[in-house]
Amino acid sequence: MSASAAFSEYAIETEGLTKVFRNRWSGTELRAVDDVSLRVPRGSTYGLLGPNGAGKTTFVKVLLSCAHPTAGSAKVFGRDTREAEARRPIGYLPENHRFPTYMTGWSMLDFYGALSGMDSAARQRRIPELLAQVGLDERAHHQRLGKYSKGMLQRVGLAQALMHAPQLLVLDEPSDGVDPVGRKQIRDVLTALEEKGVTIFINSHLLQEVELFCHDVAIIQRGRLALSGSVKELTNGSGYSVEALGVADNLRTELAGRARSSSGFDSGSDKNVRLTFETREQANEAVDLLRAHHCEIESFARTRSTLEEVFIKTVEASKVPGVQQERVEQGRVQQ
Amino acid sequence: MNASILTPTLALIRDTFREAFARRIFWGFFGCSSALLVFLLLVTKIDVRVGGLPSASDIGGAASPEAVYSVLQTQSIIAMVLYYAGTALAVFASAGLVSAMFEPGRIELLLSKPLSRTHLLLGRYLGNVLVVVANILYLIVGSWIIFGLKTGVWGAGFLLSSVFIILNFSVLLAVIVLVGVLWDSSAVAIMVTFALMIITPILAQVASMDQVLGSETSRTIVRVLYQVLPKTSDLGSMVRSTILHQPIESWMPVWTTALFGAVVLALGVRRFSQRTF
Repeated sequence: MSASAAFSEYAIETEGLTKVFRNRWSGTELRAVDDVSLRVPRGSTYGLLGPNGAGKTTFVKVLLSCAHPTAGSAKVFGRDTREAEARRPIGYLPENHRFPTYMTGWSMLDFYGALSGMDSAARQRRIPELLAQVGLDERAHHQRLGKYSKGMLQRVGLAQALMHAPQLLVLDEPSDGVDPVGRKQIRDVLTALEEKGVTIFINSHLLQEVELFCHDVAIIQRGRLALSGSVKELTNGSGYSVEALGVADNLRTELAGRARSSSGFDSGSDKNVRLTFETREQANEAVDLLRAHHCEIESFARTRSTLEEVFIKTVEASKVPGVQQERVEQGRVQQ
Repeated sequence: MNASILTPTLALIRDTFREAFARRIFWGFFGCSSALLVFLLLVTKIDVRVGGLPSASDIGGAASPEAVYSVLQTQSIIAMVLYYAGTALAVFASAGLVSAMFEPGRIELLLSKPLSRTHLLLGRYLGNVLVVVANILYLIVGSWIIFGLKTGVWGAGFLLSSVFIILNFSVLLAVIVLVGVLWDSSAVAIMVTFALMIITPILAQVASMDQVLGSETSRTIVRVLYQVLPKTSDLGSMVRSTILHQPIESWMPVWTTALFGAVVLALGVRRFSQRTF
């Protein structure tokens, strides 16, 4: 890695990145990526989310120089992605990969390792180690890829991405087609890489998986950055929930009028109530009132949202003109 | 050569061979070439004792000029068959090898590697040329040895003729690359290349066409096209002349054809470098 790359604080850095596709016959334009400025810190685990056609894949393609930006810049460890050397620290697993079916698992890793500049001895050392790491047994090593299952292809694809010990791993739907055990295995491999300081950038539709693994996320909608921040911050709600037992109907009605939401919990009793309040003060007042009526407090907690809820709210909000920019500035969505 | 260039280049060449093996392209050529060699070895009557052709060398004696000429004539027929039919087959087979590289899901992974696009495309081009060269040399050298053993004629002209065959194929492959990069279609690449193979021998009759063409403009267009496009027919004549030890009057067809190939390949590389995948 070059000196500038070595001292770059960010693994990925885009500034006003824009990619416009023009149809030369009809003259129409599609802004697949629109003025996206994003910084992915070195060593982070970052998820890129967005609905279909939001521009995620184009964004990734610009990072890998499969597409050239119309405006703005994209850098990987401080180097412009259009330089071939900028791609040396990148390991990439494409989504709809079409690995040559005439290759075996072994020869595929050998080929892509050589393209990454690894010498023969290093490749021969690394291949068995990696194939074992992604859970492909020895029989699969010399089997043609045409005979691999979807899950096996995904595993060998991941091994390919790791072949030259990259500092940045760009994964497009890494566990697509992999069974739950395989997913866990892949997650373990990624966790081990994270501990070694490898930056992991995941483009995925599986929100639960991203929530489970990534510390930071960005949501792209219609080519624009709709939201970015840490998963913890984004899923932290702005409200407080109180769960109480033995709440009389009249009290429940009274509290429901003050609360943002009210619902029952624990089907064993219709006197058990979960209330959500906007502020801590409101929640405390509710607790005081419940205690005054000799109700049991089961729990008092800050509300949390799932990443899926954040995602859906963000996508819905960004459809309303004027709301999108506000969301970006706030860096979070009100829960 | 620098290892950072050599290692990926060799990998690209090896991969092209592997794909040619897997698609049976290499083995198809190899089978055809082997069949022709077996035919020359066992079926044709060109050896002294069987005496189908006038013998090139009597045992212990000198070869008669007529006998040598007959052998060279036979060699030139083989070379011409290889030049036209072999090139057509090679074009047909190679078009798929070039466009396969641009398949979605495959090209992105190749482009994500720390190689320039020029390096990537030229590596594939070189691999493809070498697949065909290996087969051409197998057939030419094989038949040269068979002819030599059977007739005692070891003229280098037959071997040298392979240079023209390889040049012609390399130029046509550059056209396949350009069309492949522009349209991702092996079918269009084959059509354009075959059209060139058909048109250029017609253009080579530029002198006779002068009388047929009505206007000076059309004559100028034909002359310009002849100068610009590869001179397939002229190269074919040079193959024959080289084998028959006849003098080559002008090397212009060689360098203009090579120049055409270089320009077309450069255009292919340029377009490939600009394209979004």
